[in-house]
Amino acid sequence: MQKIKFYGIGGQGAVTAAKVLSIAVSVYQNEYAITVPAYGHERRGAPVYAHIIVDDKPVLLNCYVYEPDIVAVFDDKIIDMGVNVGEGCTPDTVLVINTSSQEMVDRYRKEYGFKTIFACDATHAALENIGLNIPNSSMLGALAKTGIVTIDAVCQAVVEAFGKNGEKNGGAARYAYEHTCNA
Amino acid sequence: MAVKMFDGNGAAVEAIRLARPGVIAAYPITPQSSIAEHLADCVAEGKIDAEYVRVESEHSAMSVSIGACLTGVRVATATASVGLALMHEVCGVTAGCRVPIVMPVVNRSLVAPWSLWCDHSDTMAERDTGWLQFYASTVQEILDLQLCAYRISEHEDVLTPSMVCFDGFYLSHSMQRVDTPSDEEAWDFVGPYVRKNMYLDPKDVMFINDLCPTVEHTEMKYQQKVGFDKAAGVAKDVFAEYEKRFGRKLSAVESYRLEDAEVAVVTIGSMSGTGKYVVNQLREKGIKAGLLRICMFRPFPAEEIREALQNVKVIGVMDRSSGLGAFQGPVCSEVKAALLGTSCQVYDFIGGIAGRDISDGSFRKIFGMLTDAAAGKELAGTTWFDVREDAMNLREVEMPC
Repeated sequence: MQKIKFYGIGGQGAVTAAKVLSIAVSVYQNEYAITVPAYGHERRGAPVYAHIIVDDKPVLLNCYVYEPDIVAVFDDKIIDMGVNVGEGCTPDTVLVINTSSQEMVDRYRKEYGFKTIFACDATHAALENIGLNIPNSSMLGALAKTGIVTIDAVCQAVVEAFGKNGEKNGGAARYAYEHTCNA
Repeated sequence: MAVKMFDGNGAAVEAIRLARPGVIAAYPITPQSSIAEHLADCVAEGKIDAEYVRVESEHSAMSVSIGACLTGVRVATATASVGLALMHEVCGVTAGCRVPIVMPVVNRSLVAPWSLWCDHSDTMAERDTGWLQFYASTVQEILDLQLCAYRISEHEDVLTPSMVCFDGFYLSHSMQRVDTPSDEEAWDFVGPYVRKNMYLDPKDVMFINDLCPTVEHTEMKYQQKVGFDKAAGVAKDVFAEYEKRFGRKLSAVESYRLEDAEVAVVTIGSMSGTGKYVVNQLREKGIKAGLLRICMFRPFPAEEIREALQNVKVIGVMDRSSGLGAFQGPVCSEVKAALLGTSCQVYDFIGGIAGRDISDGSFRKIFGMLTDAAAGKELAGTTWFDVREDAMNLREVEMPC
Protein backbone atom coordinates (compact mmCIF):
# COMPACT_ATOMS: atom_id res chain seq x y z
CA MET A 1 0.00 0.00 0.00
CA GLN A 2 1.27 3.46 -0.90
CA LYS A 3 -0.21 6.65 0.52
CA ILE A 4 0.08 9.83 -1.49
CA LYS A 5 -0.75 13.42 -0.66
CA PHE A 6 -1.12 16.19 -3.24
CA TYR A 7 -0.55 19.82 -2.28
CA GLY A 8 -1.66 22.39 -4.80
CA ILE A 9 -3.10 25.83 -5.23
CA GLY A 10 -6.73 26.30 -6.29
CA GLY A 11 -6.93 26.36 -10.09
CA GLN A 12 -3.96 24.03 -10.72
CA GLY A 13 -6.16 20.94 -10.95
CA ALA A 14 -4.69 18.94 -8.06
CA VAL A 15 -8.06 17.40 -7.17
CA THR A 16 -8.66 16.49 -10.81
CA ALA A 17 -5.15 15.02 -10.93
CA ALA A 18 -6.02 12.76 -7.98
CA LYS A 19 -9.07 11.47 -9.83
CA VAL A 20 -7.05 10.90 -13.01
CA LEU A 21 -4.37 9.04 -11.02
CA SER A 22 -7.15 6.86 -9.66
CA ILE A 23 -8.26 6.06 -13.23
CA ALA A 24 -4.66 5.32 -14.29
CA VAL A 25 -4.11 2.87 -11.43
CA SER A 26 -7.55 1.24 -11.49
CA VAL A 27 -8.23 0.93 -15.21
CA TYR A 28 -4.83 0.96 -16.93
CA GLN A 29 -2.74 -0.74 -14.25
CA ASN A 30 -5.49 -3.06 -12.94
CA GLU A 31 -4.77 -2.21 -9.32
CA TYR A 32 -6.85 -0.30 -6.78
CA ALA A 33 -6.92 3.32 -5.72
CA ILE A 34 -9.08 5.49 -3.53
CA THR A 35 -9.13 9.27 -3.60
CA VAL A 36 -10.29 11.38 -0.68
CA PRO A 37 -10.38 14.99 -1.76
CA ALA A 38 -10.19 17.55 1.03
CA TYR A 39 -12.51 20.22 -0.29
CA GLY A 40 -12.36 23.48 1.57
CA HIS A 41 -13.72 26.95 0.99
CA GLU A 42 -12.27 26.74 -2.50
CA ARG A 43 -11.10 29.73 -4.35
CA ARG A 44 -8.45 30.27 -6.96
CA GLY A 45 -5.11 30.75 -5.26
CA ALA A 46 -5.88 29.01 -1.95
CA PRO A 47 -4.03 25.82 -0.89
CA VAL A 48 -5.86 22.58 -1.78
CA TYR A 49 -5.13 18.99 -0.83
CA ALA A 50 -5.99 15.57 -2.17
CA HIS A 51 -5.30 12.18 -0.64
CA ILE A 52 -4.81 9.00 -2.64
CA ILE A 53 -4.19 5.44 -1.47
CA VAL A 54 -2.95 2.88 -3.99
CA ASP A 55 -2.71 -0.88 -3.48
CA ASP A 56 -2.58 -4.11 -5.46
CA LYS A 57 -5.68 -5.27 -3.56
CA PRO A 58 -8.95 -3.44 -2.78
CA VAL A 59 -8.31 -0.47 -0.51
CA LEU A 60 -10.17 -0.59 2.81
CA LEU A 61 -8.99 2.73 4.20
CA ASN A 62 -11.28 5.63 3.38
CA CYS A 63 -9.75 8.52 5.29
CA TYR A 64 -7.12 11.17 4.82
CA VAL A 65 -3.44 10.36 4.47
CA TYR A 66 -1.51 11.27 7.62
CA GLU A 67 1.79 9.49 6.93
CA PRO A 68 2.42 9.85 3.20
CA ASP A 69 4.87 7.66 1.30
CA ILE A 70 4.83 10.19 -1.53
CA VAL A 71 4.16 13.93 -1.43
CA ALA A 72 3.46 15.81 -4.65
CA VAL A 73 3.81 19.59 -4.53
CA PHE A 74 2.11 21.27 -7.51
CA ASP A 75 3.56 24.71 -6.72
CA ASP A 76 6.86 25.35 -4.97
CA LYS A 77 5.46 28.56 -3.41
CA ILE A 78 3.40 26.36 -1.03
CA ILE A 79 6.35 26.44 1.38
CA ASP A 80 5.76 30.18 1.89
CA MET A 81 1.98 29.88 2.34
CA GLY A 82 1.97 28.51 5.86
CA VAL A 83 1.47 24.93 4.67
CA ASN A 84 3.66 22.23 6.21
CA VAL A 85 4.19 19.68 3.45
CA GLY A 86 6.48 17.72 5.76
CA GLU A 87 3.59 16.87 8.10
CA GLY A 88 3.59 13.14 8.86
CA CYS A 89 6.58 12.52 6.59
CA THR A 90 9.61 10.39 7.36
CA PRO A 91 13.02 10.73 5.64
CA ASP A 92 11.84 7.88 3.37
CA THR A 93 8.89 9.90 2.08
CA VAL A 94 9.49 10.77 -1.56
CA LEU A 95 8.87 14.33 -2.75
CA VAL A 96 7.75 15.13 -6.29
CA ILE A 97 7.87 18.87 -6.86
CA ASN A 98 6.98 21.28 -9.61
CA THR A 99 9.91 23.69 -9.67
CA SER A 100 12.49 25.18 -11.97
CA SER A 101 14.80 26.14 -9.14
CA GLN A 102 17.59 24.11 -7.53
CA GLU A 103 17.43 26.58 -4.68
CA MET A 104 13.82 25.57 -3.97
CA VAL A 105 14.72 21.87 -4.08
CA ASP A 106 17.43 22.57 -1.51
CA ARG A 107 14.97 24.48 0.70
CA TYR A 108 12.47 21.60 0.70
CA ARG A 109 15.25 19.11 1.44
CA LYS A 110 16.62 21.20 4.31
CA GLU A 111 13.25 22.17 5.77
CA TYR A 112 11.60 18.73 5.72
CA GLY A 113 14.47 16.23 5.39
CA PHE A 114 13.34 14.50 2.18
CA LYS A 115 16.08 12.14 0.97
CA THR A 116 14.55 11.46 -2.42
CA ILE A 117 13.27 14.35 -4.50
CA PHE A 118 12.00 14.23 -8.07
CA ALA A 119 11.91 17.69 -9.58
CA CYS A 120 10.15 18.74 -12.74
CA ASP A 121 9.28 22.07 -14.27
CA ALA A 122 5.69 20.96 -14.74
CA THR A 123 4.50 24.51 -15.35
CA HIS A 124 6.86 24.75 -18.33
CA ALA A 125 5.75 21.32 -19.55
CA ALA A 126 2.13 22.47 -19.38
CA LEU A 127 2.77 25.79 -21.15
CA GLU A 128 4.82 24.02 -23.81
CA ASN A 129 2.25 21.29 -24.54
CA ILE A 130 -1.18 22.67 -23.71
CA GLY A 131 -0.47 26.39 -23.71
CA LEU A 132 -2.02 26.83 -20.25
CA ASN A 133 -0.57 27.19 -16.79
CA ILE A 134 -2.36 24.10 -15.47
CA PRO A 135 0.35 21.66 -14.39
CA ASN A 136 -1.82 18.74 -13.26
CA SER A 137 -1.29 16.38 -16.19
CA SER A 138 2.43 17.21 -16.16
CA MET A 139 2.66 16.47 -12.45
CA LEU A 140 1.13 13.04 -13.04
CA GLY A 141 3.88 12.41 -15.60
CA ALA A 142 6.49 13.44 -13.05
CA LEU A 143 4.83 11.24 -10.44
CA ALA A 144 5.31 8.21 -12.69
CA LYS A 145 9.08 8.55 -12.05
CA THR A 146 8.46 7.28 -8.50
CA GLY A 147 7.24 3.95 -9.90
CA ILE A 148 3.80 4.23 -8.25
CA VAL A 149 2.19 4.22 -11.67
CA THR A 150 3.54 3.63 -15.17
CA ILE A 151 3.84 6.55 -17.57
CA ASP A 152 1.76 4.60 -20.10
CA ALA A 153 -1.09 4.20 -17.61
CA VAL A 154 -0.87 7.93 -16.80
CA CYS A 155 -0.98 8.95 -20.45
CA GLN A 156 -3.94 6.68 -21.23
CA ALA A 157 -5.88 7.98 -18.22
CA VAL A 158 -5.06 11.61 -19.04
CA VAL A 159 -6.18 11.18 -22.66
CA GLU A 160 -9.43 9.58 -21.44
CA ALA A 161 -10.14 12.16 -18.74
CA PHE A 162 -9.35 15.38 -20.56
CA GLY A 163 -11.69 14.85 -23.50
CA LYS A 164 -10.88 17.09 -26.48
CA ASN A 165 -7.70 18.28 -24.77
CA GLY A 166 -6.71 14.71 -23.96
CA GLU A 167 -3.94 14.28 -26.51
CA LYS A 168 -2.25 17.57 -25.58
CA ASN A 169 -2.40 16.75 -21.89
CA GLY A 170 -1.11 13.25 -22.57
CA GLY A 171 1.77 14.91 -24.39
CA ALA A 172 2.40 17.18 -21.39
CA ALA A 173 2.49 14.17 -19.05
CA ARG A 174 5.01 12.32 -21.20
CA TYR A 175 7.11 15.46 -21.74
CA ALA A 176 7.18 16.05 -17.97
CA TYR A 177 8.08 12.41 -17.31
CA GLU A 178 11.02 12.72 -19.68
CA HIS A 179 12.13 15.98 -18.05
CA THR A 180 11.92 14.87 -14.42
CA CYS A 181 15.21 14.52 -12.61
CA ASN A 182 16.22 12.88 -9.37
CA ALA A 183 17.32 16.13 -7.78
CA MET B 1 -20.34 -6.00 -16.91
CA ALA B 2 -17.69 -3.34 -17.46
CA VAL B 3 -15.24 -1.68 -15.10
CA LYS B 4 -15.99 2.05 -15.12
CA MET B 5 -14.61 4.85 -13.01
CA PHE B 6 -17.13 6.93 -11.11
CA ASP B 7 -17.16 9.20 -8.15
CA GLY B 8 -20.12 8.59 -5.86
CA ASN B 9 -22.32 11.16 -7.55
CA GLY B 10 -21.41 9.66 -10.93
CA ALA B 11 -22.41 6.20 -9.72
CA ALA B 12 -25.77 7.55 -8.54
CA VAL B 13 -26.35 9.19 -11.93
CA GLU B 14 -25.40 5.97 -13.72
CA ALA B 15 -27.87 3.97 -11.60
CA ILE B 16 -30.61 6.51 -12.34
CA ARG B 17 -29.80 6.39 -16.08
CA LEU B 18 -29.97 2.58 -16.01
CA ALA B 19 -33.41 2.75 -14.34
CA ARG B 20 -34.75 5.00 -17.15
CA PRO B 21 -36.80 7.63 -15.30
CA GLY B 22 -39.44 9.57 -17.26
CA VAL B 23 -39.37 12.71 -15.12
CA ILE B 24 -36.48 14.32 -13.24
CA ALA B 25 -36.87 17.22 -10.79
CA ALA B 26 -33.77 18.12 -8.80
CA TYR B 27 -32.40 21.21 -7.14
CA PRO B 28 -28.59 21.39 -6.92
CA ILE B 29 -26.95 21.59 -3.50
CA THR B 30 -23.38 20.86 -2.42
CA PRO B 31 -22.20 18.08 -2.39
CA GLN B 32 -25.05 16.69 -4.49
CA SER B 33 -24.75 19.32 -7.26
CA SER B 34 -23.04 17.16 -9.84
CA ILE B 35 -25.95 14.70 -9.68
CA ALA B 36 -28.44 17.43 -10.63
CA GLU B 37 -26.03 18.74 -13.29
CA HIS B 38 -25.15 15.39 -14.86
CA LEU B 39 -28.78 14.30 -14.95
CA ALA B 40 -29.46 17.50 -16.90
CA ASP B 41 -26.56 16.63 -19.25
CA CYS B 42 -27.97 13.13 -19.74
CA VAL B 43 -31.37 14.53 -20.71
CA ALA B 44 -29.80 17.16 -23.01
CA GLU B 45 -27.64 14.53 -24.71
CA GLY B 46 -30.52 12.08 -25.07
CA LYS B 47 -28.99 9.49 -22.76
CA ILE B 48 -32.08 9.65 -20.57
CA ASP B 49 -35.45 10.06 -22.25
CA ALA B 50 -37.00 12.20 -19.53
CA GLU B 51 -38.57 15.55 -18.87
CA TYR B 52 -36.25 17.57 -16.63
CA VAL B 53 -38.22 20.01 -14.48
CA ARG B 54 -36.11 22.88 -13.16
CA VAL B 55 -37.65 23.58 -9.79
CA GLU B 56 -37.05 26.47 -7.41
CA SER B 57 -36.51 24.41 -4.26
CA GLU B 58 -36.24 20.93 -2.82
CA HIS B 59 -39.80 21.26 -1.50
CA SER B 60 -40.90 21.61 -5.11
CA ALA B 61 -38.52 18.91 -6.36
CA MET B 62 -40.22 16.33 -4.18
CA SER B 63 -43.69 17.69 -4.93
CA VAL B 64 -43.09 17.40 -8.68
CA SER B 65 -41.62 13.94 -8.20
CA ILE B 66 -44.69 12.72 -6.30
CA GLY B 67 -47.12 14.10 -8.87
CA ALA B 68 -45.16 12.69 -11.78
CA CYS B 69 -44.66 9.27 -10.20
CA LEU B 70 -48.39 8.97 -9.50
CA THR B 71 -49.10 9.32 -13.22
CA GLY B 72 -47.16 6.11 -13.74
CA VAL B 73 -43.53 6.92 -14.51
CA ARG B 74 -40.34 6.29 -12.58
CA VAL B 75 -38.94 9.60 -11.35
CA ALA B 76 -35.56 10.83 -10.18
CA THR B 77 -34.44 13.44 -7.70
CA ALA B 78 -31.56 13.82 -5.26
CA THR B 79 -30.60 16.11 -2.43
CA ALA B 80 -28.41 16.74 0.62
CA SER B 81 -28.35 18.44 4.01
CA VAL B 82 -30.58 21.51 4.32
CA GLY B 83 -32.13 20.56 0.99
CA LEU B 84 -33.41 17.40 2.62
CA ALA B 85 -34.53 19.42 5.61
CA LEU B 86 -36.53 21.74 3.34
CA MET B 87 -38.01 18.63 1.70
CA HIS B 88 -38.98 17.14 5.06
CA GLU B 89 -42.69 17.95 4.91
CA VAL B 90 -43.08 16.54 1.42
CA CYS B 91 -40.99 13.46 2.27
CA GLY B 92 -43.78 12.54 4.64
CA VAL B 93 -46.29 12.92 1.81
CA THR B 94 -44.22 10.60 -0.41
CA ALA B 95 -44.16 7.94 2.28
CA GLY B 96 -47.76 8.31 3.40
CA CYS B 97 -49.13 8.29 -0.14
CA ARG B 98 -47.01 5.19 -0.75
CA VAL B 99 -45.13 6.72 -3.70
CA PRO B 100 -42.08 4.48 -4.24
CA ILE B 101 -39.47 7.10 -5.14
CA VAL B 102 -35.79 6.18 -4.86
CA MET B 103 -33.64 9.18 -3.92
CA PRO B 104 -29.87 9.45 -3.48
CA VAL B 105 -29.05 11.63 -0.49
CA VAL B 106 -25.48 12.88 -0.19
CA ASN B 107 -24.82 13.14 3.53
CA ARG B 108 -23.88 16.61 4.71
CA SER B 109 -24.18 18.29 8.07
CA LEU B 110 -27.23 20.32 9.04
CA VAL B 111 -26.93 23.92 10.22
CA ALA B 112 -25.73 25.66 12.36
CA PRO B 113 -22.74 26.29 12.24
CA TRP B 114 -22.95 26.27 8.46
CA SER B 115 -21.02 23.42 6.89
CA LEU B 116 -20.60 21.78 3.51
CA TRP B 117 -19.11 18.59 4.85
CA CYS B 118 -20.13 15.12 5.77
CA ASP B 119 -22.04 13.83 8.71
CA HIS B 120 -25.32 11.99 9.07
CA SER B 121 -27.40 14.66 10.82
CA ASP B 122 -29.45 15.24 7.65
CA THR B 123 -30.66 11.68 7.05
CA MET B 124 -30.81 10.75 10.73
CA ALA B 125 -33.30 13.60 11.13
CA GLU B 126 -35.44 11.82 8.50
CA ARG B 127 -35.14 8.35 9.97
CA ASP B 128 -38.77 8.20 11.14
CA THR B 129 -40.30 9.93 8.09
CA GLY B 130 -41.41 6.65 6.57
CA TRP B 131 -38.61 6.10 4.06
CA LEU B 132 -36.38 3.07 3.75
CA GLN B 133 -32.76 4.06 4.35
CA PHE B 134 -29.66 2.42 2.94
CA TYR B 135 -26.13 3.66 3.72
CA ALA B 136 -23.41 2.87 1.18
CA SER B 137 -19.84 2.20 2.25
CA THR B 138 -18.20 2.37 -1.19
CA VAL B 139 -18.92 3.95 -4.57
CA GLN B 140 -19.66 0.48 -5.96
CA GLU B 141 -22.33 0.05 -3.35
CA ILE B 142 -24.06 3.30 -4.29
CA LEU B 143 -24.78 1.84 -7.72
CA ASP B 144 -25.70 -1.58 -6.33
CA LEU B 145 -28.01 -0.28 -3.58
CA GLN B 146 -29.70 2.21 -5.86
CA LEU B 147 -30.58 -0.48 -8.41
CA CYS B 148 -31.85 -2.78 -5.65
CA ALA B 149 -33.81 0.04 -4.00
CA TYR B 150 -36.05 0.43 -7.08
CA ARG B 151 -37.04 -3.20 -6.78
CA ILE B 152 -37.57 -3.04 -3.02
CA SER B 153 -39.46 0.25 -2.94
CA GLU B 154 -41.68 -0.58 -5.90
CA HIS B 155 -42.58 -4.08 -4.66
CA GLU B 156 -46.36 -4.31 -4.21
CA ASP B 157 -46.00 -5.40 -0.58
CA VAL B 158 -43.67 -2.47 0.23
CA LEU B 159 -44.62 0.66 -1.78
CA THR B 160 -42.36 2.77 0.38
CA PRO B 161 -39.76 5.26 -0.86
CA SER B 162 -36.01 4.79 -0.36
CA MET B 163 -33.15 7.09 0.51
CA VAL B 164 -29.81 5.77 -0.73
CA CYS B 165 -27.49 7.66 1.59
CA PHE B 166 -23.80 8.20 0.98
CA ASP B 167 -21.18 10.34 2.62
CA GLY B 168 -20.48 13.75 1.12
CA PHE B 169 -16.98 14.02 -0.38
CA TYR B 170 -15.78 10.73 1.16
CA LEU B 171 -17.95 8.96 -1.40
CA SER B 172 -19.66 11.65 -3.49
CA HIS B 173 -16.32 12.99 -4.73
CA SER B 174 -14.14 9.89 -4.36
CA MET B 175 -13.22 8.33 -7.71
CA GLN B 176 -13.41 4.53 -7.49
CA ARG B 177 -13.70 1.60 -9.87
CA VAL B 178 -17.23 0.35 -10.29
CA ASP B 179 -18.31 -2.89 -11.95
CA THR B 180 -21.22 -1.62 -13.96
CA PRO B 181 -23.91 -3.75 -15.58
CA SER B 182 -24.76 -3.10 -19.20
CA ASP B 183 -27.94 -1.17 -19.99
CA GLU B 184 -29.70 -4.43 -20.91
CA GLU B 185 -28.53 -6.34 -17.84
CA ALA B 186 -29.62 -3.53 -15.53
CA TRP B 187 -32.97 -3.09 -17.27
CA ASP B 188 -33.61 -6.81 -17.07
CA PHE B 189 -33.11 -6.54 -13.29
CA VAL B 190 -34.87 -3.25 -12.52
CA GLY B 191 -37.66 -3.52 -15.11
CA PRO B 192 -40.13 -0.86 -16.18
CA TYR B 193 -42.10 1.12 -13.59
CA VAL B 194 -45.55 -0.31 -12.98
CA ARG B 195 -48.05 1.63 -10.87
CA LYS B 196 -49.57 -0.55 -8.19
CA ASN B 197 -51.59 1.85 -6.07
CA MET B 198 -53.39 5.19 -6.25
CA TYR B 199 -52.69 7.02 -9.51
CA LEU B 200 -53.26 10.38 -11.11
CA ASP B 201 -54.89 10.75 -14.49
CA PRO B 202 -53.61 14.06 -15.94
CA LYS B 203 -56.87 14.32 -17.94
CA ASP B 204 -59.00 13.93 -14.84
CA VAL B 205 -56.97 15.39 -11.98
CA MET B 206 -57.84 14.93 -8.35
CA PHE B 207 -56.73 16.15 -4.94
CA ILE B 208 -54.38 13.87 -3.03
CA ASN B 209 -53.23 13.91 0.59
CA ASP B 210 -56.48 15.38 1.83
CA LEU B 211 -57.65 15.27 5.44
CA CYS B 212 -57.70 11.79 6.97
CA PRO B 213 -59.94 11.45 10.04
CA THR B 214 -58.66 10.07 13.31
CA VAL B 215 -60.80 6.96 12.94
CA GLU B 216 -58.66 5.89 9.96
CA HIS B 217 -55.33 7.58 10.53
CA THR B 218 -53.84 4.98 12.87
CA GLU B 219 -54.76 2.31 10.36
CA MET B 220 -53.10 4.19 7.50
CA LYS B 221 -49.93 4.42 9.58
CA TYR B 222 -50.28 0.74 10.43
CA GLN B 223 -50.35 -0.04 6.71
CA GLN B 224 -47.06 1.81 6.36
CA LYS B 225 -45.62 -0.14 9.29
CA VAL B 226 -46.61 -3.40 7.57
CA GLY B 227 -44.88 -2.10 4.43
CA PHE B 228 -41.70 -1.75 6.46
CA ASP B 229 -42.13 -5.23 7.94
CA LYS B 230 -42.43 -6.66 4.44
CA ALA B 231 -39.52 -4.57 3.16
CA ALA B 232 -37.05 -6.53 5.28
CA GLY B 233 -37.92 -9.81 3.57
CA VAL B 234 -38.22 -8.24 0.12
CA ALA B 235 -34.78 -6.64 0.55
CA LYS B 236 -33.29 -10.02 1.40
CA ASP B 237 -34.80 -11.58 -1.75
CA VAL B 238 -33.75 -8.67 -3.96
CA PHE B 239 -30.19 -8.71 -2.58
CA ALA B 240 -30.00 -12.48 -3.20
CA GLU B 241 -31.18 -12.04 -6.78
CA TYR B 242 -28.72 -9.20 -7.30
CA GLU B 243 -25.84 -11.38 -6.09
CA LYS B 244 -26.92 -14.19 -8.39
CA ARG B 245 -27.04 -11.87 -11.38
CA PHE B 246 -24.07 -9.61 -10.72
CA GLY B 247 -21.91 -11.49 -8.22
CA ARG B 248 -21.85 -8.85 -5.49
CA LYS B 249 -23.18 -9.62 -2.05
CA LEU B 250 -25.39 -7.07 -0.34
CA SER B 251 -27.01 -7.44 3.05
CA ALA B 252 -28.83 -5.44 5.70
CA VAL B 253 -25.82 -5.82 7.97
CA GLU B 254 -22.30 -6.98 7.20
CA SER B 255 -20.32 -8.93 9.80
CA TYR B 256 -16.56 -8.56 9.65
CA ARG B 257 -14.37 -10.93 11.72
CA LEU B 258 -17.05 -11.17 14.43
CA GLU B 259 -17.04 -14.99 14.90
CA ASP B 260 -14.85 -14.98 18.02
CA ALA B 261 -14.68 -11.20 18.61
CA GLU B 262 -14.46 -9.89 22.17
CA VAL B 263 -14.57 -6.21 21.20
CA ALA B 264 -16.35 -4.76 18.19
CA VAL B 265 -17.43 -1.52 16.62
CA VAL B 266 -20.67 -0.88 14.78
CA THR B 267 -20.22 1.38 11.76
CA ILE B 268 -22.38 2.98 9.09
CA GLY B 269 -21.28 4.59 5.84
CA SER B 270 -17.85 5.35 4.44
CA MET B 271 -16.00 5.00 7.76
CA SER B 272 -16.56 1.24 7.58
CA GLY B 273 -13.56 0.36 5.40
CA THR B 274 -11.23 2.26 7.69
CA GLY B 275 -12.73 0.36 10.63
CA LYS B 276 -12.08 -2.97 8.90
CA TYR B 277 -8.50 -1.94 8.20
CA VAL B 278 -7.95 -1.34 11.91
CA VAL B 279 -9.67 -4.63 12.83
CA ASN B 280 -7.13 -6.41 10.61
CA GLN B 281 -4.26 -4.54 12.29
CA LEU B 282 -5.53 -5.47 15.76
CA ARG B 283 -6.06 -9.10 14.75
CA GLU B 284 -2.40 -9.26 13.74
CA LYS B 285 -1.55 -8.22 17.28
CA GLY B 286 -3.76 -10.99 18.69
CA ILE B 287 -6.63 -8.71 19.77
CA LYS B 288 -9.98 -10.30 19.02
CA ALA B 289 -11.58 -7.32 17.31
CA GLY B 290 -14.52 -7.28 14.90
CA LEU B 291 -16.89 -4.94 13.11
CA LEU B 292 -20.54 -4.86 12.20
CA ARG B 293 -21.61 -2.52 9.42
CA ILE B 294 -25.20 -1.40 9.19
CA CYS B 295 -26.15 -1.01 5.54
CA MET B 296 -29.95 -0.92 5.88
CA PHE B 297 -30.98 1.42 8.69
CA ARG B 298 -34.72 1.45 7.81
CA PRO B 299 -36.26 -1.00 8.33
CA PHE B 300 -33.88 -1.46 11.25
CA PRO B 301 -32.43 -4.98 11.09
CA ALA B 302 -32.68 -5.65 14.83
CA GLU B 303 -32.68 -9.45 14.60
CA GLU B 304 -29.61 -9.62 12.37
CA ILE B 305 -27.78 -7.20 14.66
CA ARG B 306 -28.66 -9.23 17.74
CA GLU B 307 -27.62 -12.43 16.00
CA ALA B 308 -24.27 -10.96 14.96
CA LEU B 309 -23.36 -9.19 18.20
CA GLN B 310 -24.93 -11.17 21.05
CA ASN B 311 -21.70 -12.96 21.95
CA VAL B 312 -19.45 -9.89 21.79
CA LYS B 313 -18.51 -8.65 25.25
CA VAL B 314 -17.89 -4.96 24.59
CA ILE B 315 -19.33 -2.97 21.67
CA GLY B 316 -18.70 0.60 20.53
CA VAL B 317 -21.29 2.15 18.22
CA MET B 318 -20.16 4.92 15.90
CA ASP B 319 -22.62 7.78 15.53
CA ARG B 320 -21.77 10.35 12.86
CA SER B 321 -24.35 12.82 14.14
CA SER B 322 -24.49 14.64 17.43
CA GLY B 323 -27.83 13.36 18.73
CA LEU B 324 -28.10 16.53 20.80
CA GLY B 325 -30.00 16.06 24.02
CA ALA B 326 -30.39 12.31 23.53
CA PHE B 327 -29.02 9.84 26.08
CA GLN B 328 -27.10 8.25 23.20
CA GLY B 329 -26.88 8.88 19.44
CA PRO B 330 -29.49 7.48 17.06
CA VAL B 331 -27.48 4.48 15.84
CA CYS B 332 -26.37 3.49 19.34
CA SER B 333 -29.85 3.85 20.83
CA GLU B 334 -31.27 1.41 18.32
CA VAL B 335 -28.39 -1.06 18.46
CA LYS B 336 -28.75 -1.10 22.23
CA ALA B 337 -32.49 -1.71 21.93
CA ALA B 338 -31.76 -4.63 19.60
CA LEU B 339 -29.39 -6.11 22.20
CA LEU B 340 -31.85 -5.85 25.08
CA GLY B 341 -31.55 -8.88 27.34
CA THR B 342 -28.01 -9.80 26.24
CA SER B 343 -24.99 -9.21 28.46
CA CYS B 344 -23.24 -7.00 25.87
CA GLN B 345 -21.78 -3.74 27.19
CA VAL B 346 -22.66 -1.07 24.60
CA TYR B 347 -20.99 2.35 24.39
CA ASP B 348 -21.61 5.25 22.03
CA PHE B 349 -18.88 7.12 20.15
CA ILE B 350 -19.94 10.40 18.57
CA GLY B 351 -17.68 12.07 16.01
CA GLY B 352 -16.87 12.64 12.38
CA ILE B 353 -19.05 15.73 12.57
CA ALA B 354 -19.16 18.16 9.63
CA GLY B 355 -16.30 16.55 7.73
CA ARG B 356 -13.98 15.78 10.61
CA ASP B 357 -12.04 12.76 9.39
CA ILE B 358 -12.66 9.40 11.07
CA SER B 359 -9.16 8.04 10.60
CA ASP B 360 -7.50 4.72 11.34
CA GLY B 361 -6.09 6.55 14.38
CA SER B 362 -9.63 7.35 15.56
CA PHE B 363 -10.57 3.68 15.39
CA ARG B 364 -7.36 2.60 17.16
CA LYS B 365 -8.18 4.96 20.04
CA ILE B 366 -11.77 3.72 20.25
CA PHE B 367 -10.72 0.07 20.18
CA GLY B 368 -8.22 0.92 22.93
CA MET B 369 -11.04 2.25 25.12
CA LEU B 370 -13.19 -0.79 24.35
CA THR B 371 -10.35 -3.16 25.22
CA ASP B 372 -9.82 -1.30 28.50
CA ALA B 373 -13.53 -1.56 29.23
CA ALA B 374 -13.39 -5.29 28.55
CA ALA B 375 -10.62 -5.46 31.17
CA GLY B 376 -12.87 -3.77 33.69
CA LYS B 377 -12.02 -0.10 33.27
CA GLU B 378 -14.92 2.30 33.53
CA LEU B 379 -16.09 3.94 30.32
CA ALA B 380 -18.73 6.64 29.89
CA GLY B 381 -21.93 5.65 28.09
CA THR B 382 -21.23 8.27 25.42
CA THR B 383 -17.82 9.55 24.32
CA TRP B 384 -17.29 12.37 21.84
CA PHE B 385 -14.07 11.39 20.06
CA ASP B 386 -11.38 13.55 18.39
CA VAL B 387 -12.64 16.71 20.09
CA ARG B 388 -10.19 19.60 20.34
CA GLU B 389 -9.03 20.35 23.86
CA ASP B 390 -9.88 24.02 23.46
CA ALA B 391 -13.51 23.21 22.56
CA MET B 392 -15.04 25.42 25.23
CA ASN B 393 -12.81 28.39 24.40
CA LEU B 394 -13.52 28.50 20.66
CA ARG B 395 -15.23 31.62 19.37
CA GLU B 396 -15.72 32.88 22.90
CA VAL B 397 -17.64 36.16 23.03
CA GLU B 398 -16.65 38.80 25.53
CA MET B 399 -19.66 40.47 27.05
CA PRO B 400 -19.45 44.25 27.14
CA CYS B 401 -20.75 44.56 30.71
